[in-house]
Amino acid sequence: MSNRSEPSVAGRIDVGSIRTAGVYVALYGTAFLFVVPYLWMLSTSVKPRDQLFSQVPHWIPSTITFEWYRQVLAGSIIETWMLNTILIATATTVIVLVFDSLIAFSLTRLDWPGKNVVLTVIVASFMVPAYVNIVPLYTLVADLGLLSSYWGVVLPLTAGPLGVFLLVQFFRDFPDEIEEAARLDGFSSLQIYLRILLPLMKSPLTALALFTFVTTWNQFLWPLLVLQSEGSYTLAIGLVTLTSTNVFQPGLTMAATLIASLPLFVVFLLLQDYLIDAVQIQGTTG
Amino acid sequence: MSIATRITGRFQRLKGVTSGYAERESLEGVLFALPYLVVFSLFLLYPLLKGLYMSFFDWNAIYPSESEFIGFGNYARMLSDPLFWTSVKNTVYFVVLTVPTLVVLALFLALGVNRNVKGKKALRAVFFSPYILTVSVVTLIWLEIYGAQYGLLNYYLGLIVANPPDLLNSELFAMPAIALTTIWWTLGFNFVILFSARQSIPGRLYEAAKIDGAGSWNTLRDITLPQMKPALLFVTVVQFIASFQVFGQVFIMTGGGPGNSTETIVMYLYDIAFQSHEFGYAATVGYFLFVVLVGVSLVNYLVIGRNDE
Repeated sequence: MSNRSEPSVAGRIDVGSIRTAGVYVALYGTAFLFVVPYLWMLSTSVKPRDQLFSQVPHWIPSTITFEWYRQVLAGSIIETWMLNTILIATATTVIVLVFDSLIAFSLTRLDWPGKNVVLTVIVASFMVPAYVNIVPLYTLVADLGLLSSYWGVVLPLTAGPLGVFLLVQFFRDFPDEIEEAARLDGFSSLQIYLRILLPLMKSPLTALALFTFVTTWNQFLWPLLVLQSEGSYTLAIGLVTLTSTNVFQPGLTMAATLIASLPLFVVFLLLQDYLIDAVQIQGTTG
Repeated sequence: MSIATRITGRFQRLKGVTSGYAERESLEGVLFALPYLVVFSLFLLYPLLKGLYMSFFDWNAIYPSESEFIGFGNYARMLSDPLFWTSVKNTVYFVVLTVPTLVVLALFLALGVNRNVKGKKALRAVFFSPYILTVSVVTLIWLEIYGAQYGLLNYYLGLIVANPPDLLNSELFAMPAIALTTIWWTLGFNFVILFSARQSIPGRLYEAAKIDGAGSWNTLRDITLPQMKPALLFVTVVQFIASFQVFGQVFIMTGGGPGNSTETIVMYLYDIAFQSHEFGYAATVGYFLFVVLVGVSLVNYLVIGRNDE
């Protein structure tokens, strides 16, 4: 009462702390909503049969059962699918890393006629959306006799321009002095690429590898079109067929989705920063 | 290539006329580029041209050589095809539902996490993590949530309204339900890009604003948003391109129904190509998609390009 400025100071603190509280409520509230689907998946996957079909949702089952996991794993086809997916994603990633780094090296460090045209065409091909080519690509893969072959899935996925574009940005900044010094020491282009450039470019290469692996792992339509026997399916398409034959088996479905998403979650938890870097790099170069 | 390398390259060439250095470098350059150029030409460029070619034919899926040239027949058919226009309308609706939400919500979350909140890293992980999931996993989880009988959402909706609708079997709610699933799944990408854009705004701009006595609203309007403009444009355009091609969620969750209320352009393309085997017509729809999305990309390049000046 004696100091007239006091209420306004208190008011300012209040506004500040109310705002901070608001930010916390909004952020953690949204985060909670984001986690709900995971919690429901987990809860459903360990729920006994009678509680799955209840009008009132049981968040915490009275007894925890691993029956659904046992059933999914006993079928063992899901392991085959996981193996197929690992195989396809690994092959794609390796090819992308090798092919993209070779051409990015060539485009930035070597001089040859027509290379600017080539780079322009590759960059322009960014504008080709994923689904535009699907019909002609399908006929091409069929003509090549690659339907129901893993190569039919993998090779078209390695043709994307993103990796080339990303690596060109990084290789361009590679200091000329190092290259000159290596040439004076009698290094060939291949040696410079293998022994100097690749080791120094470890982090963009890792980011590209992770990004390629995750996006290939998650491919849906293309493997669905190419792979035609159940034994050759990837996880993404296998899961959908699995559940369409198991109508009203929520426990089984959720156990299967949890098992299917586990490998990528492990990758995510271990390499979170790299993966987020990869997305950021894509965002800042794209 | 930098000027330095070009000059040394020229010098090397002058010096190495006898050793044929330039020829060797050209040969090497082509050899290094070749593996990628082969897959790129075969699996990207060639299908793009072949798609255009196919769009002028009544394509015979089994005996391609018996395909009949029909000029712009497929294009005329597309423009007068009511189901095509339904799919365009539904796609635009999906874009309207998802793009603004995904950009604005991601922006709010990015700005919120940027403040000095506790658990920054955990929040970032929570918002980003659904992005790494397969579309099948995402949709199967949400099918459990949307289930009419034992679904999670309908139970809670039932506490508020008397008879909650079977969301995915309702022409009114099926598309918003797919949009909500998509928002959960893909928000993380936008969030990460906007968060990193916010982080790279130099702190001195905010210090200067503080000294000038700018309030938080003015700071947001005059510093944060203008500085983030390229990232916001990028995210909006990438999101538009992605939403315009929505497929997996629709395919698994509703198959285009009920009625044709969730039939989108790519869903329609899939149906005519792989259910009716009308490859020529499907290639035409593919080219329509191509023209729209190239148009969006070009406008984007022009806008961002002007912004960079």
